[in-house]
Amino acid sequence: MGPAPAGEQLRGATGEPEVMEPALEGTGKEGKKASSRKRTLAEPPAKGLLQPVKLSRAELYKEPTNEELNRLRETEILFHSSLLRLQVEELLKEVRLSEKKKDRIDAFLREVNQRVVRVPSVPETELTDQAWLPAGVRVPLHQVPYAVKGCFRFLPPAQVTVVGSYLLGTCIRPDINVDVALTMPREILQDKDGLNQRYFRKRALYLAHLAHHLAQDPLFGSVCFSYTNGCHLKPSLLLRPRGKDERLVTVRLHPCPPPDFFRPCRLLPTKNNVRSAWYRGQSPAGDGSPEPPTPRYNTWVLQDTVLESHLQLLSTILSSAQGLKDGVALLKVWLRQRELDKGQGGFTGFLVSMLVVFLVSTRKIHTTMSGYQVLRSVLQFLATTDLTVNGISLCLSSDPSLPALADFHQAFSVVFLDSSGHLNLCADVTASTYHQVQHEARLSMMLLDSRADDGFHLLLMTPKPMIRAFDHVLHLRPLSRLQAACHRLKLWPELQDNGGDYVSAALGPLTTLLEQGLGARLNLLAHSRPPVPEWDISQDPPKHKDSGTLTLGLLLRPEGLTSVLELGPEADQPEAAKFRQFWGSRSELRRFQDGAIREAVVWEAASMSQKRLIPHQVVTHLLALHADIPETCVHYVGGPLDALIQGLKETSSTGEEALVAAVRCYDDLSRLLWGLEGLPLTVSAVQGAHPVLRYTEVFPPTPVRPAFSFYETLRERSSLLPRLDKPCPAYVEPMTVVCHLEGSGQWPQDAEAVQRVRAAFQLRLAELLTQQHGLQCRATATHTDVLKDGFVFRIRVAYQREPQILKEVQSPEGMISLRDTAASLRLERDTRQLPLLTSALHGLQQQHPAFSGVARLAKRWVRAQLLGEGFADESLDLVAAALFLHPEPFTPPSSPQVGFLRFLFLVSTFDWKNNPLFVNLNNELTVEEQVEIRSGFLAARAQLPVMVIVTPQDRKNSVWTQDGPSAQILQQLVVLAAEALPMLEKQLMDPRGPGDIRMGPSENVALL
Amino acid sequence: MVARRRKCAARDPEDRIPSPLGYAAIPIKFSEKQQASHYLYVRAHGVRQGTKSTWPQKRTLFVLNVPPYCTESLSRLLSTCGLVQSVELQEKPDLAESPKESRSKFFHPKPVPGFQVAYVVFQKPSGVSAALALKGPLLVSTESHPVKSGIHKWISDYADSVPDPEALRVEVDTFMEAYDQKIAEEEAKAKEEEGVPDEEGWVKVTRRGRRPVLPRTEAASLRVLERERRKRSRKELLNFYAWQHRESKMEHLAQLRKKFEEDKQRIELLRAQRKFRPY
Repeated sequence: MGPAPAGEQLRGATGEPEVMEPALEGTGKEGKKASSRKRTLAEPPAKGLLQPVKLSRAELYKEPTNEELNRLRETEILFHSSLLRLQVEELLKEVRLSEKKKDRIDAFLREVNQRVVRVPSVPETELTDQAWLPAGVRVPLHQVPYAVKGCFRFLPPAQVTVVGSYLLGTCIRPDINVDVALTMPREILQDKDGLNQRYFRKRALYLAHLAHHLAQDPLFGSVCFSYTNGCHLKPSLLLRPRGKDERLVTVRLHPCPPPDFFRPCRLLPTKNNVRSAWYRGQSPAGDGSPEPPTPRYNTWVLQDTVLESHLQLLSTILSSAQGLKDGVALLKVWLRQRELDKGQGGFTGFLVSMLVVFLVSTRKIHTTMSGYQVLRSVLQFLATTDLTVNGISLCLSSDPSLPALADFHQAFSVVFLDSSGHLNLCADVTASTYHQVQHEARLSMMLLDSRADDGFHLLLMTPKPMIRAFDHVLHLRPLSRLQAACHRLKLWPELQDNGGDYVSAALGPLTTLLEQGLGARLNLLAHSRPPVPEWDISQDPPKHKDSGTLTLGLLLRPEGLTSVLELGPEADQPEAAKFRQFWGSRSELRRFQDGAIREAVVWEAASMSQKRLIPHQVVTHLLALHADIPETCVHYVGGPLDALIQGLKETSSTGEEALVAAVRCYDDLSRLLWGLEGLPLTVSAVQGAHPVLRYTEVFPPTPVRPAFSFYETLRERSSLLPRLDKPCPAYVEPMTVVCHLEGSGQWPQDAEAVQRVRAAFQLRLAELLTQQHGLQCRATATHTDVLKDGFVFRIRVAYQREPQILKEVQSPEGMISLRDTAASLRLERDTRQLPLLTSALHGLQQQHPAFSGVARLAKRWVRAQLLGEGFADESLDLVAAALFLHPEPFTPPSSPQVGFLRFLFLVSTFDWKNNPLFVNLNNELTVEEQVEIRSGFLAARAQLPVMVIVTPQDRKNSVWTQDGPSAQILQQLVVLAAEALPMLEKQLMDPRGPGDIRMGPSENVALL
Repeated sequence: MVARRRKCAARDPEDRIPSPLGYAAIPIKFSEKQQASHYLYVRAHGVRQGTKSTWPQKRTLFVLNVPPYCTESLSRLLSTCGLVQSVELQEKPDLAESPKESRSKFFHPKPVPGFQVAYVVFQKPSGVSAALALKGPLLVSTESHPVKSGIHKWISDYADSVPDPEALRVEVDTFMEAYDQKIAEEEAKAKEEEGVPDEEGWVKVTRRGRRPVLPRTEAASLRVLERERRKRSRKELLNFYAWQHRESKMEHLAQLRKKFEEDKQRIELLRAQRKFRPY
């Protein structure tokens, strides 16, 4: 009997995949069906929804195997949690290159190698005589000045080597690049080729000839030029295979000199290799003064000589451990999500790999570490080390002939020397780029330390484009203005060094200028890096101004933002002249209250929204003054959305002032209520419960004084009735104020009676306010309306125990139990939770002045999409608050614009089905509580509303989303936000100034 | 429902006006000026045998789809068919007459009216048959009986919404007097019964007695249980015996396993949503 069932089972077990296999390999449609079937087999029916995990007791408590114990222990030590470990593994699987593709790439590389070696040679000609070049190809270099000594001939490369991340196995998908170094034969080069761009000219000609021949080959789908690391003196040739693999891989050919051709001592950062006499056609001013050093030029030459040695170094260290490779891959993803590795002077993956090597050599990283730990250590290092001040070096020898770190610091802003001690790896990285990297690393470390549940997602999966990361953004355009700026800033030596690239020459001084000018208003200034162009081989290389626009991002500091005064030194100090020179005509002598007479700059700004835009004034003033960039070239994007939350008659303010006036009036009223004499019970609390009182009303109420001729008087009730023949009176929104009265034994314990007593209090309140303070009041059974300074307040008297009384249910045995009823929930919400929420958000506004603007913009947008009905005011306020309380991976927004963009991003990407949105007001929820709430959420998912917002006061029920939105409305909002976000970002990033910002429902509403 | 209504419309073409099965339709307009009209759907009130209904059989007309503007004028409009005894408007059909208690207008605000149903009781059964034969169109607002609309209505609604504080005060006072009296009576009764055994000899213990006891609420009993539990757990020793130690370790492992399982499920879901594509 034994064997037969076993055989059955075996067949059953193997039979299933056999059935699956053909289906998976069939057409796409079938495949999908099969996979979904597979999933439904493995999972409970509800798809796309997390289910609470149910494990049987036997499964939970079975004896652990050794392997399992090891894995659990490893997870605890090497990773943060099992979830993180799984996530990291998944991500690496996604970005890794599969073996199959690797084979295809290897085959392609072999083909390339064969073809490159077979390119015919050409006889020797003068460098300036380029007639031999065939018609279809242009030299990929701006040859300015054209005249240069030397001869060139083409010979096939002496050696073809693959360098870079492909061999190391740390390259990540998509955009696989394989770097191939072509060693030029020694016969091509001559002595002194390092001088006056001769080497670069030859390199370019070499590539041009190569390109011409390879372009005729049917193997390649596209052959085009680009720049190596964006350096415009060093073109490279990009080859892509023809056919379906065209997107798979790009092979980049970099010609390089034969080893030991250049003497490193000639290429020290203090040496000059571009003569002024040649470059500018004149010797430097005055005889005898030395030629200016050309550190960047020297670096570019040096970079070509060390390609192979770097590869060797990297492969000896990285190939020893999988964890290091994983770490580098993760770091590359991290950089890429932050757009730090893109463009000229980016913080590339190569730099990060070298940094890992450095940390291994200093024993900060051990080879047994996991990828996650490598990531963490590198971030920690970046966050705490300022390479702009203290450079680091991979070079271990203490040879006195090597240049000192200080020399490099003088020439470069960021210093990280390679193992030879001659080359600065970070030569192209600007100080602000490095500071941005540091800033990001610091934020990421904070995120990792906070043990947030979805840290992985925020760290590695959330893109941070410039427009969404920075509070204000400004575009400089056209870039040709920067040429004039270079002359104004006297940057001729830098231009000579950069070979005429005025954009990168001006970048450093401009950012320093603006950083100094913005001072306390600024947390971080970052600039976009010019993109690395690609162009057809039959075209001239693009000019510097063709790289579009230069975009600067400002991360503002809310504390410094509101000051309208730049305080300078006292008038008789020597620094005063400097201050005057810096600020030009804006600097004035002022006498201050303490008697000091100081230089100062005062900016005009009356309202909060104008104060937020002071950086605009600063930037335009400084750029015009020091860099000769007129206002028309500066496109400042800081407040185009402000107009949407301006009232009808407002032009300069976005309503913050009006809200403050209303809140101040409310404060006065609450003081009156506290001091009211003659109430039978004392007032125990006065709390606001209206959007105005938490600064989130889109259009704040304006004080209204009724014109008596427009009304008839109802004498017996002392009220006014609108007249038929007069225009309709203005609507005044009453602001709800909850007034708690002290508990007392005198309160009845019956719901109906409590209602009557409250009504009596409402009447009494109206009477007393009229008597004692002369306010106009009107009492009804549930509230008292008070007219104060043109605002109407609706005071609701509340009794703390009333919700409980409403809840009481008596069972047949006489046991009194508490059950939630609709009325009790409503009352509790209105008199307890709403005031708590209002005061918490009021506090949030005091911490983050931009909160009001963000919340109001968000609500304005939702209502303009005609979805306002579906969302309670409070739910949208809470979503906006989440942007400030949980800004990761960003910092809390300091301008309504960026806050609104992140609102759209949050709404469009948040997985409402499987996650509650935590709004941890006042940081009351601990991590453990959050975990508990999350599991409770999963268990009760079906009973909860579609949108669940958890606050410390409301941990289970999501009170504010109980009545809506429905699933359809929420889905509509998500779709609209996903549509609106790229549209708006495109408009804001377009330097020609944002066009019209459509708040209204877009036409695709009809389509959806 | 809609489909059924359409089917009926096809069945009796001579009537022209589509109406639910078994109902007669009477067009009703707000005034002369309107071109289109609403329809009242009427039929004689009747219930299946055995079902109780407080509405008198034969004399009651059941009206569907009463527009919000013709609440008061319905009896006037139907009085052409016969003397109307009463008109009862309701949100939903209800077999029983709603209890006629005088609800306070201050504390029970009127709901926003929509389309309603009505039970119209005629004095004679002939009224019902006359109403069923009514051709209409009925006019709600006429010269003699104008119904307010537009800005006039809004102003009068606003005037009505302004409460009279004196009336409110009077109402509150009368209610509270009655309430106080009721409470006083109850207390007096309780005091009388205090300590007096009933016929089986049981004595009722209340909070008001000389030795007050716990109130009989769920919260209070839960509190007591919780206190008991805490007292017991304070006495218990943790990780004292070897089996306790082993069990707590096993518990930890089980927790980890459970978490792992949960995480795996989450990863599975994210993978299905292609959430691991970084860009």
